[in-house]
Amino acid sequence: MENILDVQNIHTFIGQYHILQGVNVRVPKGSIVALLGRNGAGKTTTLKSILGLTPPREGKVIFNGQEVNGLRSFDIANMGIGFVPEHRAIFRDLSVEENLKIAERKKGDYLRKRDFIFDLFPDLKRLIALPGTSLSGGQQQMLAIARALVPDNQLLLIDEPSEGLAPVIIESMMSAIRELAKESTVILVEQNFLVASQLAEYYVIIEEGRSVQDGKMKDLAADKAAIHRFLGAA
Amino acid sequence: MNSFLRKNIVMLVAVLIMAAFLIAAAQGMEKQDFVITLLRGLAVGSITFLVASGFSLIFGLLDVLNLAHGTLFMIGAYLGWTVVVRPDTFVDMLTPLALIVSGFALGDVYPLLASRIRLGLSMRRILPWGMILVSILLFGFILPRYPIAIWDVGNYGQSPVTFAFMADSGARLPVQPAAFTEISAPLAVIGLLLASILGAFGISLFDNTPRTVRLSWKNFVSIAVALVVALVGLIFNDQLSAFFYCLNSNWLFFIAVLVATLSGVALGGLMEATLIRPLYSRPIYQLMLTLGMSAIGIEMVRAIWGRPEFVMPKPAFFNGGGEACPATNFADWWTNHCSTILLFEGRVRVYNEIFIPLVGLVVLISIWILLQRTRLGMIIRAGVQDSQMVEALGINVRRVFTMVFALGVGLAALGGVLGAPSTGLSNVMGESLLLNALIALAIGGLTSYPGAALGSVIVGMIQQFIIKYGQIGIVIPFTDIIFKPTPPLVPASTVLLMVIVLLILPNGLLGKKE
Repeated sequence: MENILDVQNIHTFIGQYHILQGVNVRVPKGSIVALLGRNGAGKTTTLKSILGLTPPREGKVIFNGQEVNGLRSFDIANMGIGFVPEHRAIFRDLSVEENLKIAERKKGDYLRKRDFIFDLFPDLKRLIALPGTSLSGGQQQMLAIARALVPDNQLLLIDEPSEGLAPVIIESMMSAIRELAKESTVILVEQNFLVASQLAEYYVIIEEGRSVQDGKMKDLAADKAAIHRFLGAA
Repeated sequence: MNSFLRKNIVMLVAVLIMAAFLIAAAQGMEKQDFVITLLRGLAVGSITFLVASGFSLIFGLLDVLNLAHGTLFMIGAYLGWTVVVRPDTFVDMLTPLALIVSGFALGDVYPLLASRIRLGLSMRRILPWGMILVSILLFGFILPRYPIAIWDVGNYGQSPVTFAFMADSGARLPVQPAAFTEISAPLAVIGLLLASILGAFGISLFDNTPRTVRLSWKNFVSIAVALVVALVGLIFNDQLSAFFYCLNSNWLFFIAVLVATLSGVALGGLMEATLIRPLYSRPIYQLMLTLGMSAIGIEMVRAIWGRPEFVMPKPAFFNGGGEACPATNFADWWTNHCSTILLFEGRVRVYNEIFIPLVGLVVLISIWILLQRTRLGMIIRAGVQDSQMVEALGINVRRVFTMVFALGVGLAALGGVLGAPSTGLSNVMGESLLLNALIALAIGGLTSYPGAALGSVIVGMIQQFIIKYGQIGIVIPFTDIIFKPTPPLVPASTVLLMVIVLLILPNGLLGKKE
């Protein structure tokens, strides 16, 4: 299958720290790929490196056949990559509607996608006029994902969507991600292996800044020893 | 209602305390004194607000403490003065300025050109510096020889002070138009254009990030405009000067405000793009840089306009005199354009105490609309919180940074040119005003836009009331002692208030917790 994104051996430094020391991620078009690994392994940095927020110093990031490393972040994003960061980064001083509108790349994106977004997250519809701060954690997470859906993105980078959420809300979050994955490709960073294993078709394990193992999720789910070794989860 | 109260409790308490102070102040003085002092406070507050709001916008979004803000305020005043008093100098400057700008107006074309040129690594390192060096040499050779009719700081009869005095009394000193003697006009024009293009190209080569540039006619609009301005300024120089000299003072003042503000915008944009931008990862260097820029700006003003203070003539619209003045009501004022108007039996200067606060109010509302109702405003509000996330949404945040810096400096320059007819021009006007603006921001909340307005008004009011009480004295309650605040208490009082406010509310009155 054709890869929409190909991350080849990237090395990223933050300040003087060598955070990523050779990460490879291949993302087939239309799939959900989970980046797995312990805290501080470099999963979030991998997402940020793809988007150029922490530009890799070595290696290549190829999106849709085009090398994007070295480009400015907004240029990379405008090629069709949406980012749902850890801790959501909802804009406090903006209303829920403005939080969505700001993500427009073409005028009218928001109006065009509004119905799709509200079908996915019915809660947001009645919160539309509230300031971004007044939302609960789950609502903020929905807003953060919805924001990435406003423009036509081919690839979504979703960082820790289940973090700090109640099980019921995680459930609805997962069905939303499944729904939007029908339209675009998703890279998911997820600590909760149960969530990741149910959503993703492929996985990449990152350990101490290196990608150490990848493959099909159903193979990993069967390999209890590997899960224990890399993720410390049962 | 309850949630409104809870959210705005600090603002309401602040307003209540202010109202209580004002009522107390009103008991101690005549009604006309009170009204005039109140309006003066508003006027000082408005000018402070123009500087403070720009400073706060820049600090909020870019995290840059622009210590040169006061100097840019001052430069706005001096530029406006030049347009009003020596329009011929302004016309003479048009051509060289437009030529200097023209190279930079090509912006997007350079990366495209650079990508076509294949060079070795060492050549690629040397080339930009070489181009910039040639550009500086060319500028250095041509600019001092370019004829610009200007005053003479060293000769009292031809000094800005004399020109200002004559212009203020309605007369004009005869001026000698400048002519090309040391260099031929075509050589100067082509040389400046070449220097500008080389300089801009050289600077653009430092930026190695690959970009997708599509050329369209839009890339060439700005250079076309710059070249047209340059050529018109060159060919119709005498006619333009004569035209400006014959213009009535209202139009001239309007043009001065426009020129000063736009120059501020241009200066701000240029400053951010060339000096501030490379230093975002080194905030201390940025701070030192703006401090240095401030010192350089003051010395430049001293070198060009000299050290003595002088005035800027008020536009005739606000400067009428004669038997019908002072006006007794606004209809009366409208027919005679008196410089003063009687309000509550006090003589109020229309320009200083009514026009300036009005402009302050208009700017307050316009910027508020910009922030709350436009996409740019939305991006600015979001960027203040998390500029990286805004960039990740596909928005060119750096361009927004440049725009906000330009806007902030433009506001300061507007403050300068508006304040000039009422406070006069001096080398130190910027520093003292920046100090006022910083105190106002500390009181109101560093990155809060309404806070900037509230803080500025409070600072203006307190200063003016203390000045007034210095003249008439204040009876200390329950005693017979009359206390007359001395002038040093004027700045001290605002600092004291700042200390009190910060002890109770570390983020200022309307600042948000970070």
